[in-house]
Amino acid sequence: MDAKNLKVVNKPVIKMDALGLACGEPAFTDDVEFKGLLTGKILWSPHAHARIKKIDVSAALKVPGVKAVLTYKDLPRVPHTTAGQGYPEPSPYDSYTLDNKVRFVGDRVAAVAAETPEAAKEALSKIKVEYELLPAVFDTFEAMKDGAPVIHDEEDSKNIPDAKHNIAAKFDFEVKNGEWFKEADFVFEHSWSIPYLQHCAIEPHITIAHFDNTGRLVLRTSTQVPFHVRRIVAQALKIPVKKIRVVKPRIGGGFGSKQEVLLEDITAALALKTGRPVKLEYTRKETFISSRTRHPAVCRMKAGVKKDGTITDAEMEITLNTGAYGSHALTVMMCSGSHTIPMYRVKNNIRFIGRSVYTNLPVAGAYRGYGATQGFFAWECLMDMMAAKIGMDPVEFRKMNYIKLGEGSPVFKAMGEGREGVEQVITSTGLFEAIQKGSDEIKWTEKKLKYAAQSGPIRRGVGVACMMQGSGIPEVDMASATMKMNEDGSFNLLVGAADLGTGSDTILAQIAAEVLGIKTDDIIVTSSDTDITPFDVGAYASSTTFISGGAVKKTAEKVRDMILEVGAKILDQKKEDLRLEDGKVVAKDGASCSLSEVANTSLYYYNQHQITASASHFAHTSPPPFQANFAEVEVDTETGQVKILDYVSCVDCGTAINPQLAEGQNDGAVLNGISHTLSEAMEFSSNGTPLNASFRRYKIFSAADTPPVRTFIIPSWEPAGPFGAKSVSEIGINGPLPAVANAIYNACGVWLFEAPFTPDKVLKAIQKGKNKGL
Amino acid sequence: MKNIKYYVCPSTVKEALAVLLSKKYKAMALAGGTLVSKTLPDTVETYLDLKNLPIKGIRLQGGNLVIGAGATFDEIDRSKLCRSWAGGCVSRAAEACSSQLVRNMATIGGNIARPHSFNIFPVVLLGLDAKVRLQTKKGAQLVDFQDLYSSGLGLRPGLDSLITEIVIPVKTRKWKCEFIKLAKTASSWESYIKLFFSAEKKGKSVIQARVAVGALSPRPFRAPEAEKALLSGAGAEAAAKAFAAELEAARAGEYRSSAASSLFKRFVNSL
Amino acid sequence: MKTGIIETKKGFFEITVAINGEKKELSVKNDESLLDALRRHGWKGTKKGCDTGDCGSCAVLLNGRPVLGCLAPAVTAHEGEITTIEGLGSVRAPHPLQVAFVEAGAVQCGFCIPGMILSSKHLLDRTPNPTEAEIRKALDGNLCRCTGYVKQVEAVKAAAQKLRGKGKRARA
Repeated sequence: MDAKNLKVVNKPVIKMDALGLACGEPAFTDDVEFKGLLTGKILWSPHAHARIKKIDVSAALKVPGVKAVLTYKDLPRVPHTTAGQGYPEPSPYDSYTLDNKVRFVGDRVAAVAAETPEAAKEALSKIKVEYELLPAVFDTFEAMKDGAPVIHDEEDSKNIPDAKHNIAAKFDFEVKNGEWFKEADFVFEHSWSIPYLQHCAIEPHITIAHFDNTGRLVLRTSTQVPFHVRRIVAQALKIPVKKIRVVKPRIGGGFGSKQEVLLEDITAALALKTGRPVKLEYTRKETFISSRTRHPAVCRMKAGVKKDGTITDAEMEITLNTGAYGSHALTVMMCSGSHTIPMYRVKNNIRFIGRSVYTNLPVAGAYRGYGATQGFFAWECLMDMMAAKIGMDPVEFRKMNYIKLGEGSPVFKAMGEGREGVEQVITSTGLFEAIQKGSDEIKWTEKKLKYAAQSGPIRRGVGVACMMQGSGIPEVDMASATMKMNEDGSFNLLVGAADLGTGSDTILAQIAAEVLGIKTDDIIVTSSDTDITPFDVGAYASSTTFISGGAVKKTAEKVRDMILEVGAKILDQKKEDLRLEDGKVVAKDGASCSLSEVANTSLYYYNQHQITASASHFAHTSPPPFQANFAEVEVDTETGQVKILDYVSCVDCGTAINPQLAEGQNDGAVLNGISHTLSEAMEFSSNGTPLNASFRRYKIFSAADTPPVRTFIIPSWEPAGPFGAKSVSEIGINGPLPAVANAIYNACGVWLFEAPFTPDKVLKAIQKGKNKGL
Repeated sequence: MKNIKYYVCPSTVKEALAVLLSKKYKAMALAGGTLVSKTLPDTVETYLDLKNLPIKGIRLQGGNLVIGAGATFDEIDRSKLCRSWAGGCVSRAAEACSSQLVRNMATIGGNIARPHSFNIFPVVLLGLDAKVRLQTKKGAQLVDFQDLYSSGLGLRPGLDSLITEIVIPVKTRKWKCEFIKLAKTASSWESYIKLFFSAEKKGKSVIQARVAVGALSPRPFRAPEAEKALLSGAGAEAAAKAFAAELEAARAGEYRSSAASSLFKRFVNSL
Repeated sequence: MKTGIIETKKGFFEITVAINGEKKELSVKNDESLLDALRRHGWKGTKKGCDTGDCGSCAVLLNGRPVLGCLAPAVTAHEGEITTIEGLGSVRAPHPLQVAFVEAGAVQCGFCIPGMILSSKHLLDRTPNPTEAEIRKALDGNLCRCTGYVKQVEAVKAAAQKLRGKGKRARA
């Protein structure tokens, strides 16, 4: 199968919300006015670890305009997780809307709501808190030792595997086919590390809580997971789900940070306390410190290889820093192995040892790549080390070993997300073509040869990395859609899927339009509103195209059937002889009627009814998209500056439902990865205070910093996906760290193990290499 | 900031100074406003907006390059005169400022009004022997940039005086100069180090040398040993070594000393 | 010294500005940024991404030149001309730059786009045929985390061509 005969799918349809956004139409959470809106603000802990001994809010309450001050004393104590995951969430229940203990600099202490931002700020300054300072721990390996400060010593937390050793999640797994490393000619062992990294969505986190005319609570919020928000707020505040409506307007980027119930619970609590609408919006500094980050990680890998290129054994031990709370602690850790180890065939033994560890630092969570970023940095660098040792070209070594069509991996079954996975084999792959295309575009062979003979301080090199990801979480993620037909032959498509800037509204409309033989602009998409749209787990785990797209396709097929039913009556033909084409019901003999005639007939004449349908979808597999990335770099060996000269990313996402939007997803993921590679890291003082919580000092790449990023879509056809589609949004972020590290090695013969590759670190590595006589 | 009562937008320097000196206003000057507008002290009660003052042009005067204090980074970046002066190093410094939006607003006067390690122009102005014209209560004064920036000369530009012009002497016009911002990325606000190198050769000998170092501390400094090495014709290796030693002594640390001295070596080799 | 002084009344300055070609009398708080004042008065197309002058989402044209609305005190716009994204074009009558951004697929979440389009407008006003490097430099103050800037650079190129083709060199 291929995408050749498709009319709407696989076409660069214009993103349906783009023009409004480009014209500054009021589309985001904060773009509408609410009468009597109060400003919410949170008092943050200045200490990394402390118990609140006394908290006195009387002076704060006296500030004119202050309407509420909340502390832990005012709210129910409900252990829950802020991770916006399917129920029951695999993350530990270790969070409280407000607590009598603070666990990092930037943890919640109290919340206020006031008539003006100024009054709210003044009130914060008048809350008197007496802390009992506790010893803090900032290093994961220290935190696991006997006698380390116990960050979650409360008794009512749930599902923490070893609170005494600050272990928020652990998972071990082994496939043993004989003695470890017995067949290996060479064995390698190294550790790679990734620091605290922030999502940096340009829209800060924001929630507005208000009430409808029946007194129900409405949360207008910048979220990727509206239905999980509704459930978790209901749980945390002990109010029924039916009393809450969650509305997701346009979202100014998420990248995982908004797969989190971050502000909704406390904003709702302030609104409920005051009976007034309340807005809580993070400043950029708060977004850096008190939202979520990527899990910093140390990933140790040990692998064996035979001279002929066979990988004999592979062991990955990953230690993630989950910060003060265990949001996504288990699942990110498991994905760091489950999305990476199956990439290459391992002949004999496989072992995975995973730990997520609490520290008194900011809270990690979901971040595009979701563990695979951490895992592939190690695995793909190790691949190049092995190739170098056995004298094989890194591209050929990968071609020999990557997982092929029809092949499976014991890892798929052993490791799911927070539980056992599912057995699966690869049912579509364009990786071979992706590697070929990338090699051609970067001129791999030619440049390898050319760069083998270089002199002088400026050196160039090329590097490669291959990756995979998933498409939704099999047998966990579920999405649904509803469609209804209007008089003019247009349709409303209601989806719970959360478009956070990805263009999912548009691609879901394309899928429906393809089924119904109409144009995309005959479909009006609503996403997402828990009162109006059917359930969807939300935008995460690279699930929307594959899972939500599957739901939309089924829904449209049901609607098509209903249309044909009416069409058969109008045309006096057999239903089986009819098809939908160009906005019409067309019969084999050429007779036809328009969709608006069908709609009007159904609404006003024949067996009067609304043509409407709903359908749900979940999947038993998670077909991985694949990528081959190639980087060409220039290293100044005297200053350590690394310049990326060219970056080629070839992505197999099955059928790209909208190639233009798919390219855009990948361009953005790749640049985010490049920015991780060369620049980004959160820094902390010795007492855990963040030092660079601003765009000025935590540097993300600007247009001027950005190297040429070239995305190529390599088509394949995934039988389980809608019109052959797999996911595309996350995978691209995993490539730059290893591809650039490998290119640096090619340029100047040194390996980098610690991200980001800033000039000081690169120069240090080069000088160390020189001392070793490299 | 919360105590702001007046907004004054004068059209002459004299008027502007009068507002600064008046007890009634408690004014602070806003040039581009990129640095101070969010952090005005509560004692300030007046925004003194300099946008209408005639202190913007970039021109030749008596052979010197005269840059109005109100010239923006963008104007300096695009000025043909600045681009051709001393190898274009003043323009390159302007361009090295992090963002076009800041370059549109920020002025050279604002960038040298207070010492900060992230200021961009000081290291270049130090290297080029620039002078600064100020309007003070004692009238107009022309002072060495170095003196003003290092000691302040008892003045607080923007509060009790106004910088009106930066004068870059004619002798520097043909100097071979290089400005380098060594940073994580091109648009980083912070840098490891900012460097200014300059030399002039007659025949085979170097007759003029300038090595200035910025970003290590709020005030840039000259590196006399490196300059001496350059003038004595000691050769690139020796000059770089001298510079590295000076940087180490200034607590630049291993990385900065090593990278900066390598860049200096390249500069010397390019002469 | 009689010219150009305004005094606050109850903590507010009364200023006169032309916004998107229409003369307005606005009350702005004494310490309010231009960004906050614009949003408070209904121009919601101007976004707040950092409030520290680092992301460019708040860019507006002040007297034809893009400035950071979050760093400019609102009162400094007194007697000036402001163009916000709403003034450039609308869904009914979009500016060629807005169309180019849409057609190139340069709008993902869209939060940075108003500022980016206004920066592009200024670029094309003074450089009708920019090189890629000039485009990247002109946009380097507008951070975007979604797109990798790839399609935005393409959009500016396409808009430049369209504007030149029409012989309609955009005016400042």
